[in-house]
Amino acid sequence: MSYVISGECCSDASCVAVCPMNSIHPSPGEPGFGAGVSLFIDPRTCIDCGACADICPVDAAQPADQAAPEDVERNAAYFAEREPLEATDLDSWEPPAYQVWGDGPRRVLVVGAGPAGMYATRELLLRTTAEVTLVDRLDQVGGLVRFGVAPDHPRTKQIIDTFERIVGHSRVRWLPGTDSTSLTTGYDAVVHAVGARRSRRLGISGEDSACTAEDFVAWYNGRPGATLPVQLTGPRAVVVGNGNVALDVARLLLSDEDQLRQMDVSPDVRRVLAASGIKEVVLLGRRGPETAAYTETALQELLAAAGDRVELRFHARPTSWTSEGLTLESGDTIAAGNLFTAIGFEGQAVDGLPFDADRGIVPNVRGAVVGRPGHYVAGWIKRGARGGIGVNKACAQETVTTLVSSSRAAASPGS
Amino acid sequence: MDETAERLLGSASRLSRDPETEIDWEAPIGDGYGMSPEWSTLYGTPYWDELTEAQQRELTRHESASVATTGIWFELILQQMILRDVYDKPPRSAEFQWALTEIADECRHSIMFARATERMVEPAYRPRLLARELGRMFKTVATGETAYAAILVAEEVLDVMQRDWMRDRRVEPLVRTVNHIHVVEESRHMVFAREETRERLAGAGRGRRWVSALVIAIAADMIVSSMVSRQVYANVGLDAERAVREARSNEHHRSLLRTSCANLMDFLGSVGLLTPAAARVYRRTGLL
Repeated sequence: MSYVISGECCSDASCVAVCPMNSIHPSPGEPGFGAGVSLFIDPRTCIDCGACADICPVDAAQPADQAAPEDVERNAAYFAEREPLEATDLDSWEPPAYQVWGDGPRRVLVVGAGPAGMYATRELLLRTTAEVTLVDRLDQVGGLVRFGVAPDHPRTKQIIDTFERIVGHSRVRWLPGTDSTSLTTGYDAVVHAVGARRSRRLGISGEDSACTAEDFVAWYNGRPGATLPVQLTGPRAVVVGNGNVALDVARLLLSDEDQLRQMDVSPDVRRVLAASGIKEVVLLGRRGPETAAYTETALQELLAAAGDRVELRFHARPTSWTSEGLTLESGDTIAAGNLFTAIGFEGQAVDGLPFDADRGIVPNVRGAVVGRPGHYVAGWIKRGARGGIGVNKACAQETVTTLVSSSRAAASPGS
Repeated sequence: MDETAERLLGSASRLSRDPETEIDWEAPIGDGYGMSPEWSTLYGTPYWDELTEAQQRELTRHESASVATTGIWFELILQQMILRDVYDKPPRSAEFQWALTEIADECRHSIMFARATERMVEPAYRPRLLARELGRMFKTVATGETAYAAILVAEEVLDVMQRDWMRDRRVEPLVRTVNHIHVVEESRHMVFAREETRERLAGAGRGRRWVSALVIAIAADMIVSSMVSRQVYANVGLDAERAVREARSNEHHRSLLRTSCANLMDFLGSVGLLTPAAARVYRRTGLL
């Protein structure tokens, strides 16, 4: 027997650090880490000790005999072409990496209590003696974990418990529902972890009457102030996009009343979705399946839930959206009542910081904002809207390392 | 509980290691570090920079021996607590059998640590008298979550250090092997201790949780502060007064401990053992 990691893996790699047999890969630094969303356990060397499951913040590591057969297979398949690592040969392990103590900052402001901001706060608490002020526009920690992860993935949301404990630390001053602009003076450093939640636009005519993933996801997750900007009209909807968010949208649209009842959604959301009359979804990829950004597990999940009602179409470029439906470059029109766009997210410029509009990020070197000493970025606003929740941990570690090693030289960031 | 215990028994049968036969105890000892130098209590202090590399190496060998001796000390405490805990449990249960397996592991580990320190350094170390006496009391009275969470804290603090040392090529091969053997078997012990702690705490009221949390935190403080004996500094020819003073205010070491113990603190937080009073103790100790 061994343990296996399911598709709900958050890739924060806590498990890699506690595995006494070096059985979990790709580990941070190895090719593939951060690119895919899942880590895998080598069944040939796993000794079934359970240390990974104990530490996993989203309960994705499970004993093989309790896991889904697909998960067992996926874990084994990842290692099929790889030689097993001999754990007792300690030279096959990565040597430990240490950070030298460097006095560190005294007061740090972290803007944004989503995963990137929370991991950055945690790193600051661990690696420095700084007092951290954490602000968020919303009243709760979690950001996109709370308001972006689909409501039928409750295990992923468990990581919020960890975030809430970080907020309770005695060196953290947590200011919920606060606008950061009034606060940027008086700190040794500011970490901007504001994310990138605005949906990218397709740039076709009629797009204004479509629904963006940003609006739809915020609505079904009950983000304060979010409303559904369109009326749901069956029987067919088109979702443009090939990422996991597009698959989430399709899955939610096709969930029947029974499935909706299992989810953590408000009665209002449940009623609107159940009454939508949407019976089939066309998932549109503007390029081929080889460039699709969804993960295999997310696709399997969608097909398992509503395989007979989902049509995957690739190489289909939309040109206009009207009440008739979606017209493609080929001249075809897909008759549909709703168009959803889920082609990725982009960051917005942050007041007072430079902005790279092409990439939708604040230009930075390992987290340090270019030309603005004392200012740092973490998460999607730093590296673009890619990568799952746990990837933010390594990202925040890099930013905090940069911050700690340069903070002695930095002037007050407000000046 | 029995399911966890059964799984752990299965795991132990898949991989248990015998230091008697796996380690060549006659092999000559080289001049490697006794631990990763970054883990030295003086690393990062002005005193450390004044030492020659040979002195730094020697210091880490003594510190490592002292830590191993502390390991033996709480493994003895642990064995007695577990034995008391399972005294009237049915011997056929997986929980009972796992508990005895763990005692057997700890017994082998203690012998292994004792032999390794003997090979590495001349002087013998012991935890200070106060710690020994408090440990004597603790092992006699601690029960339930207090016993298991204290075991967890002790083992985890040792474990995080050893994970670094075993992978570090600068460290003497004997120490690396000894540490890996300990880390592998400890991973099962910690899973068990977490499970027991969770189970014992189920339904515990606020008062009991408050007391348990504080007792565990104080035990952790005692363990961490006993890791490196002040005798170490004198034995490698340092000014013990100054070394202790600089070690106490060594932020590098505190940061390393804090970082390494983050998962442990997370667990204690998740089961409600990180009460404000306990958190104050952990902060003082340098774990939080």
